[in-house]
Amino acid sequence: MGIFLQVLLRSLETGSIYALAALGIIIVYRTSNTVNFAQGAIGMFNAYVVTFFFSKFGFPLWVAIITGVISAMIMGLLIDILIIRHTKKVSAVAKQIVTLGLMMVLLGVVPLLFGVDPMRLPKLIENGDIKLLGASISYNGSFNIVFGLAIMASLFYILQKTKWGLAVRTTASNEYTAKLMGVPTKTVTMGAWAVAGVLGVLAGTMVAPMTSVTLNLMDGIQIDALIACVLGGFQTFYGPVLGAYIIGISRNLLLYYVSSIWGEQILYILILVFLVFRPHGLIGKKIVKKV
Amino acid sequence: MKTIIEKLKNPRFQFILFGIVLAAIPNLANVGLLKTSHITIIGGTLIYAIAALGLNILLGFSGLITLGTAGFMGLATYISAYVTINMKLPFEVALLLAVLIPTLIGILVGLVSLKMEGMYLAIATLCVSEILKKTFEELDMFTNGFSGKQAGFPVLFGSLQLDRTTTYYLIVFVLVLIMLITYNMINGQLGRALNAMRGSEAAAQAMGINLLKYRLVAFALATIFASIAGVLYVHFIRFSYPTTWNLKLSLDFLAMIIIGGLRSIFGTVLGAFIVFAVPDLFLKQIPFLNQISYVFNGVLIILVVMFYPNGVIYIGHDIKGWKEKFKKRGQKNE
Repeated sequence: MGIFLQVLLRSLETGSIYALAALGIIIVYRTSNTVNFAQGAIGMFNAYVVTFFFSKFGFPLWVAIITGVISAMIMGLLIDILIIRHTKKVSAVAKQIVTLGLMMVLLGVVPLLFGVDPMRLPKLIENGDIKLLGASISYNGSFNIVFGLAIMASLFYILQKTKWGLAVRTTASNEYTAKLMGVPTKTVTMGAWAVAGVLGVLAGTMVAPMTSVTLNLMDGIQIDALIACVLGGFQTFYGPVLGAYIIGISRNLLLYYVSSIWGEQILYILILVFLVFRPHGLIGKKIVKKV
Repeated sequence: MKTIIEKLKNPRFQFILFGIVLAAIPNLANVGLLKTSHITIIGGTLIYAIAALGLNILLGFSGLITLGTAGFMGLATYISAYVTINMKLPFEVALLLAVLIPTLIGILVGLVSLKMEGMYLAIATLCVSEILKKTFEELDMFTNGFSGKQAGFPVLFGSLQLDRTTTYYLIVFVLVLIMLITYNMINGQLGRALNAMRGSEAAAQAMGINLLKYRLVAFALATIFASIAGVLYVHFIRFSYPTTWNLKLSLDFLAMIIIGGLRSIFGTVLGAFIVFAVPDLFLKQIPFLNQISYVFNGVLIILVVMFYPNGVIYIGHDIKGWKEKFKKRGQKNE
């Protein structure tokens, strides 16, 4: 029981990292109709910013994180203003290639700005464990879980209950009509990219203490976040979050109880089988095409 | 004279001519105009172009996106390396097995593809690719894990040992062959059926086109081309690492097609050169740019998609258009 709970708590922590990344992808997807393959790279870049401010300039960690959040926000705004806004007429696949180009730029810029050596980023709360029914989780881990949930709860509150949220949802459902209704869709898209950038850097700072800050810090997370989007369905904002937690939990359970080598492959195969029976994800509905 | 010009307009003849031009490149290295390392880069680019041609049939003609190309190509490299090095069987057997096994998986994905569409299909194929990549990392006895699998230059017909340059000729030969096959396929029944399916599946079905059959054929062709590229890769580069076959490579294949030009055979090859050869061949030569060659390439990709969403191959067409516009304006002024 203790071990099960331990695995579950760990999975909730990784699950919230996946969920933040997946939410970033889905917000951009819904507002600019682009699957953002650069989400991981944006998070990675800004995790480097955080680490750089922390270790080179000696800022306190929370100040460094705020710097990272601000830089992520600016980056998101710039990406939209400079690039995405000008690709309205481009086909959906070509737009995704733009994000690939973005990824290449970021991967190339990081070694120039921050050097090639891997860096270390400490946990926000250095030590201390919570004991719970024979399982233990670090303060930092529980903070990540709670913080992730809080961020998502506030985002969903904004999406569902405020005027801004309404604007985002209108843009997501039909950009053209939204424009006719007087929704400032350009601002909405810009905001979506900024929020996605922030979610990326938060995921990056959460995962960084588990490994070291390198160029492929976010590679695995990027892939799992994409798969979470498919598992949950692209049509809702909460589907991918749900998918992310499912992936986080079932991955760790499979790795621990079934096979530490083949656990991930089994998970992906299960997801594929699930997709065969529900091709539009958990929440998604089939879009009926008119002929 | 007239017949020669007419022949030049025949794409089949152009492909062969293109092959002859490519085959002349090692001679440039002999003269000293190019370094031998450049042959490796150009050869590698041509190999990627072969895989991208298959993807172009899939994406350009049937409109199905897949992010699994890298995984299938990787699988072919490992099978071919294992069959020639560990089982000591001839290259031809390796080629056959390395094409057959990924193709069966590809057809399976094609079966699944009937139920999925758009990004769902793309990420489902990404899932397949990730499963394969994880397997390359973990299945030590077969793939040699993270340290990478080694292979030698191909030995044709049991006795003809190729070296770097002759393997390069083999690559050019296969590329031209595949360009010809692709051209014939897409201008035949398959191409017309796929075109109709891309326009409207319901309409295509009403015309009596068997959706399942053509989707499977498209997936099979894409996987076969990717596998052939994989086999050539492992016997030309002579190494295969699991980290090579990642999401980025699959995206690179997509980029090659989009940048070069959807549904264009020469465009795909051009796209391969822009994505793979430009940073290594040209940018690294310029002193300041060698540091930022990949940044520059990323910017190039973004700019091309922003200003040439149909692909660089149509640039000639556009220049012609501008010329005519210019001429007309000139006439008005007179």
